[in-house]
Amino acid sequence: MSPRPPAVTGLRTEAAITRTTLSWRSLGFDPLIDHYRVHGEPGEHAGLDPRPDNLVGKTVYPRFLHQGLDPLGETWTYAVVAVSDAGEVGRPSAATRGRSAPSVVGTGIPVATIGSFDGRTLEHRFAPADYARIPTAHPDAVVEYVQGRDTPGQGWPYLLPGPGDAWAGRRAYTARWHLELPAAPAADHDLALWLVDTTRLGGTLEVSVNGTPLQAVRLAVGATRGSREGDATLPGSTLVRAYHELAVPAGRLRAGRNTVELVLADGGWVAWDAVGLFARR
Amino acid sequence: MPDRPPRLTRRRLLQAGGVGATVIALGVSAPAPATADPIGRDELFGLGVASGAPRHDQMVLWTRLAPEPLAEDGHGGMPLRPVPVRWEVATDRGFRDVVRRGHALAQPELAHSVHPRVEGLQPGTEYFYRFRVGRGTSPVGRFRTLPAPGETPASFAVGLVSCQAWYHGHFTAYRHLVAEDELDLVVFAGDYVYEYGITAANLWREGAEVGPAHAVEVETLEQYRLRYGLFKSDPHLQALHARVPAVVTWDDHEVQNNYVGRSSAYGLGDDLFAHRVAVAYRAFYENLPLDVDALPEGPAGDVTTGFDVGRLARFSVLDTRQFRDPVPADREEQHAPGRTMLGREQEQWVTDRLVGSPATWNVLAGGVVLTAVTEDRTDQWDGYPAARQRLLDAMGRSRNAVMLTGDIHRHVAAELRADFTRPAAGNVGVELICTSVASDGDGAPTDAYTPDWTQHEHVKLYDGRRGYVHVRFTPSEMRSTFVVVPWVRADDTAPRQVAARFVTPAGHPRLERV
Repeated sequence: MSPRPPAVTGLRTEAAITRTTLSWRSLGFDPLIDHYRVHGEPGEHAGLDPRPDNLVGKTVYPRFLHQGLDPLGETWTYAVVAVSDAGEVGRPSAATRGRSAPSVVGTGIPVATIGSFDGRTLEHRFAPADYARIPTAHPDAVVEYVQGRDTPGQGWPYLLPGPGDAWAGRRAYTARWHLELPAAPAADHDLALWLVDTTRLGGTLEVSVNGTPLQAVRLAVGATRGSREGDATLPGSTLVRAYHELAVPAGRLRAGRNTVELVLADGGWVAWDAVGLFARR
Repeated sequence: MPDRPPRLTRRRLLQAGGVGATVIALGVSAPAPATADPIGRDELFGLGVASGAPRHDQMVLWTRLAPEPLAEDGHGGMPLRPVPVRWEVATDRGFRDVVRRGHALAQPELAHSVHPRVEGLQPGTEYFYRFRVGRGTSPVGRFRTLPAPGETPASFAVGLVSCQAWYHGHFTAYRHLVAEDELDLVVFAGDYVYEYGITAANLWREGAEVGPAHAVEVETLEQYRLRYGLFKSDPHLQALHARVPAVVTWDDHEVQNNYVGRSSAYGLGDDLFAHRVAVAYRAFYENLPLDVDALPEGPAGDVTTGFDVGRLARFSVLDTRQFRDPVPADREEQHAPGRTMLGREQEQWVTDRLVGSPATWNVLAGGVVLTAVTEDRTDQWDGYPAARQRLLDAMGRSRNAVMLTGDIHRHVAAELRADFTRPAAGNVGVELICTSVASDGDGAPTDAYTPDWTQHEHVKLYDGRRGYVHVRFTPSEMRSTFVVVPWVRADDTAPRQVAARFVTPAGHPRLERV
């Protein structure tokens, strides 16, 4: 018989918006580890007894993403155990606490949004897989969305294509979001850009506000599946969600019409979860 | 490649159970049990039996004890302890003349699979085999040993299959392949399982239902084991394995779509992805009739193998997935002279086997298409043109080279040019590319990809329906029959149809339609 797997060590957590990344030292390949079981309970606890009812998930990797946490931030206490090829369960790791990072989606006051911040593209036009119609609907490679006039299902394609997308003519697509503010804001705002997935090409999303560049967002490599699958919250989903939240200085916004411009300058498409402008509390 | 020193895990497994030397574990051999195991019952053999790694005097037998093949912990409903298994080989189906018998130990480490190698058999002889646990008896399998070295048999018939996405349709092709009058071996050319989640969106096999445990992409060992349990529960696949020995190579879906070596195509770091490769390779070994050389060590596996069918044919089974260079970044890298598909060691191994072969037919089996099609098919040998040229050169130095592949879910027959950039250079062999057994559902004779292939004069057949290829070698010719079935989604009753037949005369590497 294979030896019982040793205890998992080196468990650490890393905070991100709506998720906590857990990682630990690999136990190697002898005995072969069938999978690691990640157990957790909300809140801060001195210890954690792994039980079936507090199993958060299983992974073959010495890393686990605990996703779908509250945008306000959540604290959990975790422990990890290894299961061998023979079904032997090792001793649990030391309990470790982790808190996910708060998002402006949870902490801010929504001023205007396109879509729901829910890990899904489904409310957007052509979702979840009809991407081939986007170049036809937007032959000039420009999406114009007017807040209050348009809706996500009618006016906001679920993908913004980029120069890496042969099917979309290898062009840098532009999305322009027009929104009205009743008065010039006195305080800084935040722009939340949540993505359900990107491509293996990664890319650069250039963001400007009212004609002035705000930031060039570097896009990490994604799973290249968000063009065909619309729900990153399904168990086992391999979509790679990304959260970009940019501070917008008060002076960059004005009373009346404002325009946020998003240009996918290089790389492949981004799949939108939601876009929102938030005031700070 | 064969003849490597045993590795750490293998050595530990071999020593398990306190029995010295190189017996036990792995189910290779075991001491006789004192008493029959009380769990013995026929239902233990829910995944059937198989034979493989054929030789003129040996054969590997396989079964995996699984009274509940769809148990979600991947252990098939077995208790988490070793179970002794007896095996018998006889010259008759009734087992009145048992010529070999032995024991193997089914261990939970290997999902209660056993892979005993039976030695001391007569060449060119039909045998029957079965397993026993307690009072339970497995279905009976059969095999024929290869002809003796130096002999030239009158014929040798092979079934070529690939891409068995269980959820896309019924394995009707296997029902017909099992019924072929002449069949000595089946070659699985990759994608024996698929890793994708099975949901209402892709479950096209009418009448089939699966639970939520199957709805997610496979990642852990228990999930890979469960996936093999699902696919191997198909009765036509079990019947095929019971009828003839199998040789198997893998392509990408035994691990993950389009992976390369130790790298995922989906943005996961190599250090992490190695863990998934390791469990995927382990599950592959556990579920197929492979020799102990194929037991992987962590993320390193070896499915290459070679054997001779007397002097009639030499088979070399390739690994076209594990040792290849990454997807090229641009055309310059794609055409770099040092680029490799097989890795240096395997390339030398297969070159030596081709050039030094005494056989009439020199058959390679791999996971991806060798023939030149388009520049953008970089997952195939089109992405490795310099490596392809080196292999074509080696084929040209052998007699009657034949490449057997799959992957594309289409039947294609092609002549292999000595140099695809100079069509006038002549042929060095032929490639028989097998359509899928089920992947992509019913299919149609032609589709959107047809022109990519039929634009080439060296492509002699394209058909997008499901099926298999029956290949019959004789000293004077190779006869390849491309069989299709009109549907696979609705049920398994579709009739056998022949899309095309070709004859390749020995000494003339071309495809003559007959």
